[in-house]
Amino acid sequence: MNFAPETSIDIASAVNRATAPSAEAKLKVEKLNFFYGDNHALKNINFEIPEKRVTAMIGPSGCGKSTLLRIFNRMYQLYPGQRAEGKILFDGADLLSKDLDSTVVRSRIGMVFQKPTPFPMSIYDNIAFGVRLHERLSKAQMDERVEWCLRKAAIWEETKDRLHTSALGMSGGQQQRLCIARTIAVRPEVILLDEPTSALDPISTSKIEDLIDELKQEFTIVIVTHNMQQAARCADITSFFYLGELIEVAASNEIFTNPREARTRDYITGRFG
Amino acid sequence: MASLARRRATDYTVKAISVGFAALSLVLLAWILWTLVARGLPALGPHVFTKITAPPGAGGGLLNAIVGSLIQIGVALIIGTPIGLMCGTFLAENGRGTQVGNAVRFVNDVLLSAPSILIGLFVYQILVVPFGGFSGWAGAIALAIIIIPVVVRTTEDMLNLVPIGLREAAFALGAPQWKVVTFITWRAGRAGIVTGILLAIARAAGETAPLLFTSLGNNGWSLSLDAPMASLPIAIYQYAASPFEDWVALAWAGALIITVGVLTLNILSRLVLAKMK
Repeated sequence: MNFAPETSIDIASAVNRATAPSAEAKLKVEKLNFFYGDNHALKNINFEIPEKRVTAMIGPSGCGKSTLLRIFNRMYQLYPGQRAEGKILFDGADLLSKDLDSTVVRSRIGMVFQKPTPFPMSIYDNIAFGVRLHERLSKAQMDERVEWCLRKAAIWEETKDRLHTSALGMSGGQQQRLCIARTIAVRPEVILLDEPTSALDPISTSKIEDLIDELKQEFTIVIVTHNMQQAARCADITSFFYLGELIEVAASNEIFTNPREARTRDYITGRFG
Repeated sequence: MASLARRRATDYTVKAISVGFAALSLVLLAWILWTLVARGLPALGPHVFTKITAPPGAGGGLLNAIVGSLIQIGVALIIGTPIGLMCGTFLAENGRGTQVGNAVRFVNDVLLSAPSILIGLFVYQILVVPFGGFSGWAGAIALAIIIIPVVVRTTEDMLNLVPIGLREAAFALGAPQWKVVTFITWRAGRAGIVTGILLAIARAAGETAPLLFTSLGNNGWSLSLDAPMASLPIAIYQYAASPFEDWVALAWAGALIITVGVLTLNILSRLVLAKMK
């Protein structure tokens, strides 16, 4: 079994070339291995996610990119039989350590899923649910928070007159932006996006891509996508995964124009995957 | 061409047989309902709802039986619903694919199909014999044991229909499991859960066997759960087997009341389900 060579990945310089001034690593993955039962799904991953940047993870289905995303907010711990080894440093603390409480980790590292998942309640309550888990706000403060995050998610104008109607009545694109608003409302530091536009039409997709651009001012964003144009458009850094290994990380403009690895080139030119 | 004619003939015959048997079963159902309405409706009157059991010819009613049934079913619900709801929730949220979960699910399925007279005998042995008498409590607990497996089953089935993604989305906001269950999965599955509870009530309302050995029946007026208690199914059982014309009429009236009640619950549960969808 060949492990990806650690030394070939120089993230700091890639980031610097991509976006000056240099960004600190918000998440630092060290020698991470992940198992679904006996299936070795991620192999010796070493990886840094820079702060307040958009980092994309691309690769064919089953390459481990979504798996890695779900490790960042400890989603995998919901399922017995899934196991991570190694370290993920998050502001210096090990995310995989049992000492960190999952609910706290998840409030600081939020996640938006592939399919929109509005809760069966009003638009307002969809947002208030997450906020109430972590903070006690007065009615006025909550109103303010709801408006703030809906504005951030660029959906305030469409929802302000129907805040107390069911979220299930919204269109798919609106539901997904509501899910992003709901995640922002908890005020996380990192937002994980798992193929957030794969269930949406092109117009909704472009709205969400604009939104991602907007959000990186305040949040560290990690996005898994099958759409390479999307990675090229949205991400500062792009990483390519293949068969559980991290093959290459570079500034997006670099990886899509001049990849160093043959496998990356084959994938982005559509020769496999 | 001959074979085409034969196929058409076969098709026609099979269709005719299916339609015939479908019609037969509907006719039987309609017959039962018609008999029930034809005999029960004339027997209905204000006295049925305002008077208690009286000697034949004295103009008694079903008030004690109706109230007794309501009390016992109500207490059975208060006991059975939380147990069934919690157990069903455990099976759906924590018991999937685990040995404990599979064992509980199996036992519940056995209980679901257990003959109800067995449940009556069980409660008779553990409550009536040691405490020295028939009582409303014993009847209510027997009915609770009827209700529990129905609620467990429907709760689990309904929660299994709630997408995993919805739970994950709630966990991803940092919610602890109990909040995910109470605010998200229960809410998403509530229409089905309520339907299950309504169906369980309907089932318990018509049960006679578990009450025969537990609450026994009571010809007097009693609201005490410590004493034997009247109920509609037992009143029907008593009256229908009697030789007195007015008692038999009361039995028909009681049967009509139960049927209309159960039918209402069924329709109500369908409406709830349709509305939630």
